[in-house]
Amino acid sequence: MKRLIVLSPLVILLIICFFILIYLLSNKDPSKPPSALINKDIPIFESKSLYETDKIIKSQDFKNKKVLINFFASWCLPCKVEHPLFFEISENYPDLFMLGFNHKDKSEDAKNYLSEDGNPYDFVGVDSDGMIALEFGVFGLPETFLINEKGKIIYKFMGPLTKEIIKNEIIPLL
Amino acid sequence: MSSLVGFISLALAVIINIFLLISNFFIKYNNKIFNLIIKVSSILTIISFFSLMYAYIVSDFSNFNVFQNSHSEKPLIYKISGTWGNHEGSMLLWLSILSIYGFFFSRTENINIKFKQQTLLIQSFLHVLFGLFIVFTSNPFLVNSVIVKEGLGLNPILQDPGLAIHPPILYAGYVGYSIVFSLAIAGLFSDSDNKGWIFVTKRWALISWTFLTGGIALGSYWAYYELGWGGWWFWDPVENISLMPWIAGLALVHSLLMAKGEQIIKKWIIFLSILCFSLSVFGTFLVRSGILTSVHSFASDASRGLFILLIFFIITGFGFLVFLLKTPENSKPINFLFINKVSALVINNILMIIATLTILLGTIYPIIVEVLTNDRISVGGPYFNSTVIPIMIPGFLLMSIAPILSWQTNRIRNARLYVIGFIAISLLVLVQSYLSTFNTWGVLGLILGIWIITASFISIISSYKIDFNFKLLQKINPHIAHIGVGIAIIGITCSSVFKNEYDFNLNEGDTVQIEDTIVKLEKIEMTNEVNFQALRANFLIERNKKVVANIKAGKNYYPVSKMITTEAGIYHELYKDIYFIVGDQKDKNWFVKVYINPFVSFIWIGVLIMVVSGFIGVTRK
Amino acid sequence: MKLYHSCRKIAFVNLFVFISFFEVFADGTLDEKVKNLTLELRCMTCQNQSIYDSEADFSKDIKKIVRTKFEEGKSEKEIKLFLVERYGEYILFKPLLNYKNWFLWSFPFIFLMFGLFFIGLKIRKN
Repeated sequence: MKRLIVLSPLVILLIICFFILIYLLSNKDPSKPPSALINKDIPIFESKSLYETDKIIKSQDFKNKKVLINFFASWCLPCKVEHPLFFEISENYPDLFMLGFNHKDKSEDAKNYLSEDGNPYDFVGVDSDGMIALEFGVFGLPETFLINEKGKIIYKFMGPLTKEIIKNEIIPLL
Repeated sequence: MSSLVGFISLALAVIINIFLLISNFFIKYNNKIFNLIIKVSSILTIISFFSLMYAYIVSDFSNFNVFQNSHSEKPLIYKISGTWGNHEGSMLLWLSILSIYGFFFSRTENINIKFKQQTLLIQSFLHVLFGLFIVFTSNPFLVNSVIVKEGLGLNPILQDPGLAIHPPILYAGYVGYSIVFSLAIAGLFSDSDNKGWIFVTKRWALISWTFLTGGIALGSYWAYYELGWGGWWFWDPVENISLMPWIAGLALVHSLLMAKGEQIIKKWIIFLSILCFSLSVFGTFLVRSGILTSVHSFASDASRGLFILLIFFIITGFGFLVFLLKTPENSKPINFLFINKVSALVINNILMIIATLTILLGTIYPIIVEVLTNDRISVGGPYFNSTVIPIMIPGFLLMSIAPILSWQTNRIRNARLYVIGFIAISLLVLVQSYLSTFNTWGVLGLILGIWIITASFISIISSYKIDFNFKLLQKINPHIAHIGVGIAIIGITCSSVFKNEYDFNLNEGDTVQIEDTIVKLEKIEMTNEVNFQALRANFLIERNKKVVANIKAGKNYYPVSKMITTEAGIYHELYKDIYFIVGDQKDKNWFVKVYINPFVSFIWIGVLIMVVSGFIGVTRK
Repeated sequence: MKLYHSCRKIAFVNLFVFISFFEVFADGTLDEKVKNLTLELRCMTCQNQSIYDSEADFSKDIKKIVRTKFEEGKSEKEIKLFLVERYGEYILFKPLLNYKNWFLWSFPFIFLMFGLFFIGLKIRKN
């Protein structure tokens, strides 16, 4: 019994070091918490189109379709960086539905931004008060989601996408 | 040039220590030569540290570390503090303090020479570990590959007098435990029962604890005026991590007290000695490994994490392994009664260890959960408030009477006086809080604080003949420390429970009334300082139609690093702080947040008393 | 004397708490509720700051949501679950009492019981 008590600090030490070691080796980023929505149904939302105000898109609209959802804004610099990459994806995967949400932006600015840098999205929804972003658990721009045919969120990325991430993480899911 | 000198002397010091460790198996050094070797290694390490400092002072941008963290336009004092304001430099500071402590320890007299040499050998082992860590993963003497004229600037949040002196003091605390650790290990190896060990351990435990107290208080004071959130403790991982060796050290100091009553629990003291240093290493290094998110922003690099973890594992594993293999037996059974000094000290030790382990668990639990389930959770203030504080409260109650308990018997002198005093204080606080607003925590904290102070005064007056000299001060020193704790508890309780806050949108010239004070936003100015632009709102504080103070609050913009920092303005009074934060401008009006923090100054006064009393304790034989 | 003085001062401070509390009593309860809850929520875009203390955009949005949810008559627990569904448990500074965290919550008390047991044993022995 006494030996056991004296042994316990070593056991605790081993446990602590073991977990920290795995944590360090798994390359987790303390500034990017994992999403709570992975493998959950897509949240319910309704959004007007940026261009035609009478056109509305709803979460039920994409049955049996793979969807890529991207939150962007004209004031967001990293969004500008990842923007050209979406053209490549939409060229290579024409079946993929590309949905852009314009987050807390003026519609004039957004239209200018998309006419200057091009519009890779099949539909641009307006999220002027950030309530749709809230449903998706977005807290910093840009963020990108991938939805499968069953309407489940299968992937989420925070921050600007890069060629490597698209190649290694997104394309295998398409 | 200075980089070269610095690196060579750093490397030489490590080599000398390696040589000492190996040669010790073959040669029996006499005391003089042994001390000489320790002296040379310390001097070399210090030379290395000062050559880095020199590079910072003259803005030698051929040194990569200086280039990354300094800027020629910075004021001199921040150039100097820049030496340890970054990872590499702070590690060198850590090593230098380790050397200096080793040197002072080697000059300790009246202690068994063999025992002393063993302790110093373990110090040298630590020196080698940390030295290799610096040389291979955090070398501050790397040469810049391109020639540059200007540096990249220091993190502006570190350009602050409080934070400039915070790391050396905190490290003086952390590293002091290394001597305690080495003493414990050497104590395990030497089987003879020697009294000198207890005395020396007590001295070093007190020195480290006192510096650590000062360091933590400085960090917390910095957070209070620099972060601009109106609070001074956030249960942030970095804060928790410094609190753990502090509480464990407190337990150590108190368990060493039992040696005075001839009640030595050698096993427990050695366990705490190893634990304190392990937690110190865990703290400093986990902060640097970048796996914790913290408000006390540190430049961190996860790739160093593995090396850091290895060092922590070696030191702690070594310590507890020796402890397991050579567990000492208690020579005498301890005299444990229902209520005597020994039982009070044992209970207090157990509570402190539970508190320490709870903080440890809360700090690393998110890591464990993320590894096991891939979900991330937060363990923050509300958790610690509802676990650690209730655990500590019985300890505080015991503390108030512990100094007057007897070693051998159950009896308390003047027991009636204490009981009456306690009841009177409780009634007083209860009645006054029913008359105002009742808050359970507020009442509890106030009763505790006032009671601790009163009980300490009663026992000073009733047990000692009051004639003012230093000897008396040494004798009543434990009571003084406890009075400090009482004052701090009052401050902590009031400033967290009875804090008020007010939001305003003010234009220049506007006046508002906040409680008993009239505040006028006189004007808003933009100025260009040496290395930043400052926005300052000038507030006039009026009492009874007289302007009593003039407080500036605002923001700084640092163009070199493109950072904005909040500069809170604080009007200090003994009984409350008025704390100003200036936000953004909206339609000509400025958003102004004002906190009324009652009794904050009591926290700093209380801590100051504890620190002073800690140093008095060091002088005591 | 000093004691009396400080007590009087505390009474003074408390009196103000009392008065200001009543002044805003009408919507004070809602404010209080929002404050208490947002103090326990993490601002995801900041470093270890609570949503209540933070002026970040994200925190302003969440404060607004929390307020409307309270106004709709939702309970604190429901609002917490609403946020956890979207942002994960990471947003709560006070971990939920669920299977993941039972060890975290029970450990201090188990250990405390253990300590009391040990002390009781020692006293018995003597």
